[in-house]
Amino acid sequence: MTTTPSTSTTPTVTTSEGASVTETAETAIRLVDLTKRFGDTTVVDHLNLDIHRGEFFSLLGPSGCGKTTTLRMIAGFSDATEGSIILRGTDVTSVPPHKRDVNTVFQSYALFEHLDVAGNVGFGLRRKGLPKDEIRRKVGEALELVQLGERAKARPRELSGGQKQRVALARALVNRPEVLLLDEPLAALDLKLRHQMQIELKTIQREVGITFVFVTHDQDEALTLSDRVAIMNQGVIEQCGTPEDVYERPATAFAAGFIGTSNLMTGTYRDAGLEIAPGVRVAVPGHAELAPGQQASIAVRPEKIYMYDFEPGMVRISGSVAATIYHGATTQYLVDVAPGVRITVLEQNTSRQRNDDRWSDGDRVELGWQPEHTVVVT
Amino acid sequence: MAATTASTTTSSAPAPSSRRRRRGRSVEGKPRVAVAFTVLFFVLLYLPIIVVVIFSFNSRKSLSYFESFSTRWYVQFFNDEGLISSLKASLLISTITMLGSLLLGVMLAIALERVSSRKARVVGTVSLVPLVTPEIVTGVAALLFFTGLGIKLSLTTVILAEITFSISYVAVIVRGRLASMSGEYEEAARDLGCTPFQAVRLVVVPAILPALIAAGLLIFALTFDDFVLAFFTTGVDPQPLPVRIYSEIRLSISPAINAVGTCMMAVSAVLLVLALIVPRLFGSKDSSIDMLS
Repeated sequence: MTTTPSTSTTPTVTTSEGASVTETAETAIRLVDLTKRFGDTTVVDHLNLDIHRGEFFSLLGPSGCGKTTTLRMIAGFSDATEGSIILRGTDVTSVPPHKRDVNTVFQSYALFEHLDVAGNVGFGLRRKGLPKDEIRRKVGEALELVQLGERAKARPRELSGGQKQRVALARALVNRPEVLLLDEPLAALDLKLRHQMQIELKTIQREVGITFVFVTHDQDEALTLSDRVAIMNQGVIEQCGTPEDVYERPATAFAAGFIGTSNLMTGTYRDAGLEIAPGVRVAVPGHAELAPGQQASIAVRPEKIYMYDFEPGMVRISGSVAATIYHGATTQYLVDVAPGVRITVLEQNTSRQRNDDRWSDGDRVELGWQPEHTVVVT
Repeated sequence: MAATTASTTTSSAPAPSSRRRRRGRSVEGKPRVAVAFTVLFFVLLYLPIIVVVIFSFNSRKSLSYFESFSTRWYVQFFNDEGLISSLKASLLISTITMLGSLLLGVMLAIALERVSSRKARVVGTVSLVPLVTPEIVTGVAALLFFTGLGIKLSLTTVILAEITFSISYVAVIVRGRLASMSGEYEEAARDLGCTPFQAVRLVVVPAILPALIAAGLLIFALTFDDFVLAFFTTGVDPQPLPVRIYSEIRLSISPAINAVGTCMMAVSAVLLVLALIVPRLFGSKDSSIDMLS
């Protein structure tokens, strides 16, 4: 691998659009107006994104949102219709996959059946023409990293799903790519193994310090693993930020609904409040950006809503319990606050609340939450 | 045990059913008629062949009376320059057809399996037509094609016709194998530094090797004893072995033909067995026969 000597000056890249983009040393991948169309269907629509070096970055979205297509364009398997992909300051938009300094962990693992584990892991190094000793050493290290040092001579078909996953990871990581692309790599594993592999992925990523771009439709996975998450929907990025950002401060109704559960209320803004139904008002203090008479939506997370022990300054609303769902550690209440407006509340089943204190269907209840937990979404 | 008591009290009841079983069914409960049909099928299928093999070792010229064991017809066959040159021609045709149709068939299979467009589907369906076309039609068509273009019939024309006919077989077998491989397989190779050609050579070909071997052996066996296509497209000399045998027995039936037939059968049988066994040696569950069905 050739390493360009790092310079203190920030290189300037000219994209295919002719726009001049200043590249900071910290950017691993920059997507500029990246677009993919299949016939009349736009799958990825003018995507602009900076992925930092050493970052665990997730593309999160429902199936068909364009996240896999984006990944395939970065890998080079799919041509961009418009826009450009800049890898460490170099425009690689039209560079074939075998010349890009990225490697992919495939959803189906795509291990080569005719080679043993060591042969699979060493495949990329052999293509680069490294000396045999060095290949052997690097393959050994990579297999140690994924805790498969003992299975170097095994055939892929003799491995369990989790082991195949590790081989696929080692095979990509051993090349020390600038960016590692992971296409739903944990989707085929069962729940328990998936959780175990999540922890391991994160640990390995910290250890090797390589930029990971991780595609998933699993919001838990994205929140747990990522430094930053981009929520994609219908070919565009709805929101990009840290897991805390996107969870606590969803920017759009889609982001609020896709990550976790969210109570979405829509109405007309007037006098620092939202009329979500005739005669039913929710206070929305401190949002100067909203104009009176404007239609607006707010989102409140179910676990932020209190049903007792209210504090001064809380936003209050009353309703009646429509359903009670017991989850063990928590209880979920569905509360009708207005005709057609049902709010989900998640209460911890703590010891301070006795079992017979729980509300039951039909009870009138008060709800309240801190004003900063009201998020205005678009 | 209630069931035991019940069966002992009605001990007279099972008697008729067991008598019926004795009459119409074998011990395993399979209808005797089916067993008889199966035996008859194999007798009718293999008896004529066995007769040919037996009489190829007859010391006399008679085709109805077996005198004693002898290999004189084999000696005669191997000393017959005409037959030997036909044998060599057939081996040459089969080998070149096998290699040519493998190369083209694999290319076709990869293209059809990895390009998903309407055009590819049309080409895929059209490429199956030779499998269902009566061979005599293919033969006559090939003959008209070559004579129409003024190409002199020779071993070359036989090979061209056989390759054309065999590509579909290879494509069908290889496509079956490719379909079970995810497209990510080639992408993984590209990802790890292979050019498109290297991806095929280093990853795809090893993965489909059992299918390639099976297809190759099958094509060799089919071509080696193919008569119809060879008959229409061959020149005068040397003729492929099946055509040669046909013209020999039109003049006079010699037991040497039995020896030739036995040799051809042995070659085909060995190839077929290899086609079944070799893929298993590579650890694949698919044999050529499974892949054809």
